[in-house]
Amino acid sequence: MAFYDGLFDSLGFRESCDAEKVDGSVNMADLLAKMKGEEVEAPWWDVPFPSLDNLHEACDALPRSRDFTEAVKDGFLAIKDTLKFVLDPLTQPLSWLLDGALYTVSIMPWWVVFIAIVFTAYKVSRSMPITSFVAAAMLWFLYIDYYDSTIQTLAIIFVCTFISVTIGVPIGIAMSRRDWLERLFIPLLDMLQTLPTFVYLIPLIFLFDVTESKLYGIAIILYAIVPVVRLTNLGIRLVDKDVVEAANAYGMTSRQKLFKVEIPLALPNIMAGINQTIMMSLAMVVIASLVSAPGLGVDVLRGIRALEIGPGFVAGFNIVLLAIMLDRVSKAALARINATQDV
Amino acid sequence: MQEKNVKISIRNLYKIFGDDPETALSFATQGMEKPELLEEHNHVLGLKDINVDIHEGEITVIMGLSGSGKSTLIRHINRLIEPTAGEIKMDDIDIMHLSDEELRVMRQTKMSMVFQKFALLPHRTVMENVALSLELRGMKAKQREQEAQKWIEKVELEGYEDSYPNQCSGGMQQRVGIARALTSNSEVMLMDEAFSALDPIVRTNMQDLLLRLQQDLKKTIIFITHDLDEALKLADHLIILKDGYIVQQGEPQHILLNPNDIYIEEFVSDINRARVLRVRSIMSEIDPKVTTFAGQVDYNDNLENVIALSKGDTTKVFQVMQDDRPVGYLKMKDLFKALVPRIIIDDD
Repeated sequence: MAFYDGLFDSLGFRESCDAEKVDGSVNMADLLAKMKGEEVEAPWWDVPFPSLDNLHEACDALPRSRDFTEAVKDGFLAIKDTLKFVLDPLTQPLSWLLDGALYTVSIMPWWVVFIAIVFTAYKVSRSMPITSFVAAAMLWFLYIDYYDSTIQTLAIIFVCTFISVTIGVPIGIAMSRRDWLERLFIPLLDMLQTLPTFVYLIPLIFLFDVTESKLYGIAIILYAIVPVVRLTNLGIRLVDKDVVEAANAYGMTSRQKLFKVEIPLALPNIMAGINQTIMMSLAMVVIASLVSAPGLGVDVLRGIRALEIGPGFVAGFNIVLLAIMLDRVSKAALARINATQDV
Repeated sequence: MQEKNVKISIRNLYKIFGDDPETALSFATQGMEKPELLEEHNHVLGLKDINVDIHEGEITVIMGLSGSGKSTLIRHINRLIEPTAGEIKMDDIDIMHLSDEELRVMRQTKMSMVFQKFALLPHRTVMENVALSLELRGMKAKQREQEAQKWIEKVELEGYEDSYPNQCSGGMQQRVGIARALTSNSEVMLMDEAFSALDPIVRTNMQDLLLRLQQDLKKTIIFITHDLDEALKLADHLIILKDGYIVQQGEPQHILLNPNDIYIEEFVSDINRARVLRVRSIMSEIDPKVTTFAGQVDYNDNLENVIALSKGDTTKVFQVMQDDRPVGYLKMKDLFKALVPRIIIDDD
């Protein structure tokens, strides 16, 4: 006898409840009760919460909790094909970019890549100490034979950051222009940022083939795009109102205002966002090794699976080193912009 | 003084801030005052029935305390703020009916603006800031820099062309702001509390600079200030605003001697009248009976100089000269009477 039987009886729903009754379906609790061969009268204070399972016990027409999760799955599977049909071609360029970048770094001789990286580090940071640090770190990777996985990780980060910025900055600008867009996007960004990273691998695995590189590319971009969108929006909203008024008073078009005033003045914030985006790509590229992203993450994953403490630790240390490298270089660029712009 | 052309005319201008300005406007036109409108209808009366003629080549100063609507008024002239009702015409062109494109062209070519907080572009050098308006018109870099250089020299900023605004002092930044406005070669210059953020000595220098430039340029300048001394120093035409309406407008000396409102009397009672009032405002017409003079004073001299000349003797009478011709006489007794603000006379 279930607790809520009385409720359905008194409301006169008994018949419609039992209409769907199937004798075969018994749940574990019923079985246990039957085995004991007795029905214990529950004390009055032991009121079960009217959850789906408890209500189902009293009325078979109501669904159980597992039917609910089942429905979520069915819903997803129902839209899966349409979603795949739309998203697949849209995201295909991402696969090409990632595969292209990975292929390029794999065929280039190590010294070309080395020079290119050190040169870029100098161009961006304009700082000798940081450039030397980058060079030393690269030599270390080469020396201990972690060059291949490091350069794969770097290639993926580079592609994903590039795409995050090219999509994220325009979204941020659009958000700064229209309050309703900001209200729409902020909860979405909050969700992307707070959703445990493993969780959004789940729908992606269903949507795309695990062998496709865009699978991890999308996961990284979804996670890493958040700060650049947020800070672009914020940066443009924080642009000095007086300067914008002056731009209007001198007859700038909204396009001129955007490129000659708003973006340059928001640049420190946008750069801070890009720095964060780079760091978050790195964090995600390690986790994305679960869905076949190559690079240092794979070494860590292998360390965990095979309990190889040595390679796992070294790969972990290399990730930290790479993180410091990327952070210092992008922060130096940010500091350079700040120096010329402090009002 | 000959009557100058009216450059900008403002007629029946109203501005009401709030959700439903149209409805609030009908209350305001029926004579509801600012506090009641705010209390009963939750709308702010920004400007109320403004009628002003701004003459060509003059400095028109709009003065008022904060919240009097002076910054709102100046922003209507280049339509940074849209009015609720009324019309503004410049050279018989109705500014209120310009399309966005026409408005932009007007702002680029006919009106320039100087701001209280300078509002320079911090990522651009002094030169690039000054040449902004020419850049927006699509002038070639070389040509516009040549033109900008001319104005940088006029405001005495040579040698700072490649500095960034954050490397300049407040006074220098505002010189950049003025040069930027002048470079656009517009007929009308709007100056919104342009010198209020500067310290007193720099401010005086800038006022002198503006007056010097104005002697050659003869631009139509609309200058906003909350400082009466500054207003009296610069103004050819003075407009005093309070709670969004015009309390009094006219020639500054005239307002000083004939304030028509207790608000203005309180305002003017604080200033150094001897320095601001001029001989021409208080002298008497030529009288054949008065023939003995203790000396001559200039028509445009201020009273401070006359007092110094008389050495404090109240019986003296001076002949007033304009361009070496006698135009009247001035009794020291009248001079001292003019120095006493009316508000104090009433107290007796």
